[in-house]
Amino acid sequence: MGKGVRMKVIEIKNLHKTYQSNGQEVHALRGIDLDIESGEFSAIAGPSGSGKTTLLNVMGGIDRPDEGDVIISGQTMKGLSESELSKIRLNRIGFIFQAYNLIPVLSAVENVEYVMLLQGVEKHERREKALAMLRDVGLEKESHRRPAQLSGGQQQRVAVARAIVSGPEIVLADEPTANLDQKTGSSLLDLMKNLNHERGTTFLFSTHDPMVMDRAERLIRITDGRITL
Amino acid sequence: MKMIFLLSWRNVWRNRRRSLVVITSIGLGILMMFFMMGISKGMNYQMVDNTISTSLGHVSVHRKGFLDNIKPSYSFVPDEDFMERMKSSKGFSWAPRVKVQAMIRSSESSRGVMIAGIDPERERTVSGIYEYTSKENGSDFLKSSEARDILISKRTAEKLDLVVGDRLVLILQDVHGEMTGEALTVKGIFSSPVGDFDKHVVFTGLKNLQRITGIGSRISEITIKAENRDLSYRIKKRVEPWLKSTDVVVKTWQEMAPSIVSAIRLYDSMMYVFFAIVFTTIVFSVANTMVMAIMERFHEIGVMKCLGTKPLNIFIMILIESLNLGLLGMAAGMIAGGLVLGVLTVTGLDLSFFSETMSILGSGTVIYPVVTVKDFFASMVIVSCTAVIAALYPAVKAARIRPLKALHFI
Repeated sequence: MGKGVRMKVIEIKNLHKTYQSNGQEVHALRGIDLDIESGEFSAIAGPSGSGKTTLLNVMGGIDRPDEGDVIISGQTMKGLSESELSKIRLNRIGFIFQAYNLIPVLSAVENVEYVMLLQGVEKHERREKALAMLRDVGLEKESHRRPAQLSGGQQQRVAVARAIVSGPEIVLADEPTANLDQKTGSSLLDLMKNLNHERGTTFLFSTHDPMVMDRAERLIRITDGRITL
Repeated sequence: MKMIFLLSWRNVWRNRRRSLVVITSIGLGILMMFFMMGISKGMNYQMVDNTISTSLGHVSVHRKGFLDNIKPSYSFVPDEDFMERMKSSKGFSWAPRVKVQAMIRSSESSRGVMIAGIDPERERTVSGIYEYTSKENGSDFLKSSEARDILISKRTAEKLDLVVGDRLVLILQDVHGEMTGEALTVKGIFSSPVGDFDKHVVFTGLKNLQRITGIGSRISEITIKAENRDLSYRIKKRVEPWLKSTDVVVKTWQEMAPSIVSAIRLYDSMMYVFFAIVFTTIVFSVANTMVMAIMERFHEIGVMKCLGTKPLNIFIMILIESLNLGLLGMAAGMIAGGLVLGVLTVTGLDLSFFSETMSILGSGTVIYPVVTVKDFFASMVIVSCTAVIAALYPAVKAARIRPLKALHFI
């Protein structure tokens, strides 16, 4: 699948977020405006504490802004209940975490199936899609291994498979290569780039890894809670 | 839902040692529960059965007020129609008795007793006195209803220094209120599991006692033995309409010995208190384990919520995990309990070192445990409820985990 007409997947309007850290007020986001279009392969880059993870959390409906709004494919996230946010996370967003965060008691294929299971996909279809996805990320032979039996790179590949198997509108990846060596990280980025190219999956990373920044088609720099172009 | 079950099951085995400790503690609780319940119920059953087989019978037909006034004047003549029905009835056995308060005296001592006049043949079908009578050293059961023989307990024989073949004097009040006496020969010595019975009851032939008391063909009661003790009310309902005299009543063993019924209730209540203590311990043990398990998986549960898992699914997952622990513990306890009780059902639990106490209770010194299918089902329900109750707090806590907080929790 190529990249045809690009549509806005995420619109961010005047996003503000303040939180308390060690008794001090930290302004993590100070009026962010940003649009992410379908098929993008973008990275939010900035030093530690610049607000990139907070921005990703708010975009993913894990955190709520103090001010402003996040609109996913025309659906505002403002004023949504926890359960409605949970539904958006389930059906529209894929997550890749820095520490892989696979469910340790489930095998690779069961981890990939998990989101589809929550979506109510029928068992046979679920298993078929999960195995196909594992094949795409090069882990078909490891499908019945549990996370503890996989290397860090393999676990992150399973996490990628889990994030995109149900066809989310956007995949948010929080420093996906931070725990991987350069070679494995590079190979993972190649994989995601391929998936972006072939499936048109929209990827948005938060990173301070120069390798990720180099591969990103669009680099969004953030400093002290503000986007700096 | 299948995945939730799968997750719950696998989570049980994440910390194998901890889960095994909890399963073992639940298993031991169940084993103790079955053991205590089995022995307690067995003791109650034996106490009731022994009391029924020595004195009460399952049902008794007698004059109103007889139980409070065991005197010849409270005797009655059952009408012919009633007796005909009794003779032709099936499903129970019966025997007539005359009961009178009396005194027996030997050359050494004397003792106040209740003497029962029995029909030796019929009595064998309603009571255990024949089995309790020694057939050794010349001792034997009564052979005739008319003979001037007497059966006394081993305890009474020792107290009065009597042996088989000795004579004692029976002194009682006849139907006219006059004191009368008779010399009787000790025909046999009996020993029952009920200490109080042995201390206060002696037997002679029915016609012999009718003659001594001067009551003619009157009797004090008709004792009925049903196929089992639970049929007593049914037998009462069957027999009652056959009576024409309103002065004669039918009483079940429960009505005649309310103190036994109260004692059983007291035992049961004590068991419930014991079970409550055991299961409270289990609740806290399981709850503690589940809280620890959730704290360990705080981050993971947060990730699951991030991925879109509903709080209800997390709640159910924790409940099922706890239920798995409970059911495994219950299976272990039931297997162990089944084995222990299975062996004890054959060998019995010998409590002869408490023989004095057991004699007072009337249960015998060897207790055979009794556990019913109902008890098994009750314990299944109790353990399941306990496991679910124990998991409620941890499950609510897990369901309320905020993904953002959990993601930052290492």
